[in-house]
Amino acid sequence: MKKIGLFYSFQTTRTAESAEKIAKEFGEDNIDKVDVMTMKFSDFENYEYMIFGTPTWFDGELPAYWDELLPAMESLTWKGRKIALFGLADQRLYPANFGDAVGIMAEFLEQFQAEIFGYTSIEGYQFMKSAANRDDKFSGLILDEDNQSELSDERIKNWVVQLKSEWSL
Amino acid sequence: MKYGIKTTDKDKLEEWLYLMILGRKLDEKAPNYLRQALGWSYHAPYAGHDGIQLAIGQIFQKNIDHFFPYYRDMLSVLSAGMTVEELILNGISKDADLASGGRHMSNHFAKPEWNIHNVSSSTGNHTLHAAGVARAIKYYKTEAVAISSQGESSVSEGYVYEAVNGAAKEKLPVVFVIQDNGYGISVPKKDQSALPKSGDAFASIPNLKIIHCNGKDVFDSMNAMTEAKQYAMLGKGPVIVHAACVRIHSHSNSDNQELYRDDYELKYVKDNDPLDKYKRMLIRYDRITEDEILEIEERATAELKKAHNAALKSADPSPDSIYEFLYAKAYSTNEYPDGLHSTEGEKIKYIDALNTTLKEEFRANPDTFIWGQDMANKDKGGVFNVSKGMQQEFGSQRVFNAPIAEDYILGTANGMSRYDSKIRIVVEGAEFADYFWPAMEQYVEMSHEYWRTKGKFAPNVVIRLASGGYIGGGLYHSQSTEGVLSAFPGMRVVYPSFADDAAGLLRTAMRSEGPTLFLEPKALYNNPNAATTIPNDYSIPFGKARLLREGDRAAIITYGNTTHLSLKAAEKLSAENGIEVSVLDLRSINPLDEVAILKLTQKVNRILIVHEDKTFAGFGGELSALITEKAFEFLDAPVMRIGSENTPVGFNPILEKAILPDVEKIHKGLLNLVNN
Repeated sequence: MKKIGLFYSFQTTRTAESAEKIAKEFGEDNIDKVDVMTMKFSDFENYEYMIFGTPTWFDGELPAYWDELLPAMESLTWKGRKIALFGLADQRLYPANFGDAVGIMAEFLEQFQAEIFGYTSIEGYQFMKSAANRDDKFSGLILDEDNQSELSDERIKNWVVQLKSEWSL
Repeated sequence: MKYGIKTTDKDKLEEWLYLMILGRKLDEKAPNYLRQALGWSYHAPYAGHDGIQLAIGQIFQKNIDHFFPYYRDMLSVLSAGMTVEELILNGISKDADLASGGRHMSNHFAKPEWNIHNVSSSTGNHTLHAAGVARAIKYYKTEAVAISSQGESSVSEGYVYEAVNGAAKEKLPVVFVIQDNGYGISVPKKDQSALPKSGDAFASIPNLKIIHCNGKDVFDSMNAMTEAKQYAMLGKGPVIVHAACVRIHSHSNSDNQELYRDDYELKYVKDNDPLDKYKRMLIRYDRITEDEILEIEERATAELKKAHNAALKSADPSPDSIYEFLYAKAYSTNEYPDGLHSTEGEKIKYIDALNTTLKEEFRANPDTFIWGQDMANKDKGGVFNVSKGMQQEFGSQRVFNAPIAEDYILGTANGMSRYDSKIRIVVEGAEFADYFWPAMEQYVEMSHEYWRTKGKFAPNVVIRLASGGYIGGGLYHSQSTEGVLSAFPGMRVVYPSFADDAAGLLRTAMRSEGPTLFLEPKALYNNPNAATTIPNDYSIPFGKARLLREGDRAAIITYGNTTHLSLKAAEKLSAENGIEVSVLDLRSINPLDEVAILKLTQKVNRILIVHEDKTFAGFGGELSALITEKAFEFLDAPVMRIGSENTPVGFNPILEKAILPDVEKIHKGLLNLVNN
């Protein structure tokens, strides 16, 4: 199995906990955890398979630590890279921009011809609008620890199974 | 090319960093002035809005564009070119404060010389002014935009909808910037609207572009504002820029956000400080060094210190100056110094006098405009046809319908007159005077613009209102408003009773600087008793009463509809009781002809004040107090008043008659007075 790069901020709480669960499902040996707060730009180039943890901040923004990386990411080669996205979001307090960060990152990467994997169904969520919603599928895994924490483990497990299949790992 | 950390010139990046550091230093220093009892009692910190505010100022072109900042826009105006010293002078309310010379609240930054306008504390009401000035930008074909800035909570105000809707309908070049920090003082935006992003409320309006940006990010904000300005200048319509910000500090000095925000949230917003982000990016992308940042910090500290020292030496406003700039210059001519004439010839009806005078002034001055509800559609010209034929003669760019939105009608008049002092605007403020109340906040605003800006801006606007009753109109169609509307210093108020007075005062109002409330007793529009001859180019100075009848037993002081009722009552008293009384028509309520009132009081010693408005809290109370204070020794009886009952005006004619003054009531009042 090829190594997967799991990129997220180590300073987060719920995103980091979710990342740990994802890593566990893949098997710790198969994943490198990379802290986007301290990484070098070139760290992106070490992996063909990557998972980004992009929680939604404020009214539908990427976290600043991701936002600040985008200008550097524009210069990298993304063609042929296989990316999956997950993000924490709150469907009750932020129903109009639920999980937007996942959608924003997917759109950003796609313009550089990265391939996005791990789409999930919007069923089971209640929200008004999401930048991650494409034809009733999220462009990644959305986890709502504020309102549906009891569903998160199952969602992670299913998503990892799906990714292993899509990536033929 | 878009702005970005890798694409923007280093000089520009440094310039922005300097402005952001300098602004932040002042933002953090401002509360100290209050602690040291030096002023600045109101300071709304901008920290967290840095990206969008820097961008607003960078996009604004002084003397070309028009900018309406709100009270949190410190960095916006600094970025636009104002100096730190100018901001401190405003903060500590010095006489040299460019916005108002210490008259307006601190943190209301302005530089009218550059078209950075002095705006109200009534948050968001300047959206109407921005739409108004954009109307002039469009009419005069200027390559410019109006930029209006506000917080997201103020979008809850109805007049913001009026401004956006109207600007879209007229395809005006306005950029409405909504700086969204999530709070209106302590009220979270979820308590303001079901809509998380208030700018999206306008998404269904055609001709309107909505741009979302990260107001915490310099580059995203710069790109959004650049795109917005370019779009607005295409002539396709206005733009809303909804900028997502954070509020790092409390709303203002008087607020304590720890009472309603938890530690997690406070840390969360602090961690998203736009200035920190900008510095991090400059370092991370090797655009600037730590040492260079330190050098900029030191330079900013030095500039702030120098500005602080200079501002503290500046003079305070003088208490003797409070009456200065209350009223802008009134038009005057030596031809009719007392507003009297002896012209003979054909009598003209009141309504025709207004129509003719409007047309004459529109012919004489190409920079005249008129709008209102029902103003112009084919042969329709105003709800009572006062402006009939004007659109045909002067075109739809100068004579046009307004939405049924009284605040928009008045607020855009205020805004449009900011474009150039040569502009003269007449509005039909409402279909009927007692529909005017939605415009009250703009009316109040207009009344104190000249004083508040220390004479830098006078809205040259005549507000025409068809007033009063005796038409069986009932509520909202027959009530009087002058008791309320005459209570605002800075607003001239006239209420002519005859065609010649209407023509003369309308001409004076239209040629004067500053606002005039022009009340028209609509029951007299076609009343032959109000028809008179009118000299050519007739004008009447403000504040000149007219003695219509002389008698020595008592005097009636009146105006409007009741002038005619009073004359009839006086005739009845003469015919039936052999008693002669004077009748004085005030014509102007503000300024008031105190000389004529006191002179008459000295002569006849008994005064009856008659007006159509309620006696309770009516303008007659002011007249009575004036006479009592200044001519008490000449009175042989108490000053008496007759007005409408202290009720609304009923619709059924029986009710209307019971409520409003009439000849019988005045006659009876006169008998009581002379026999007292």
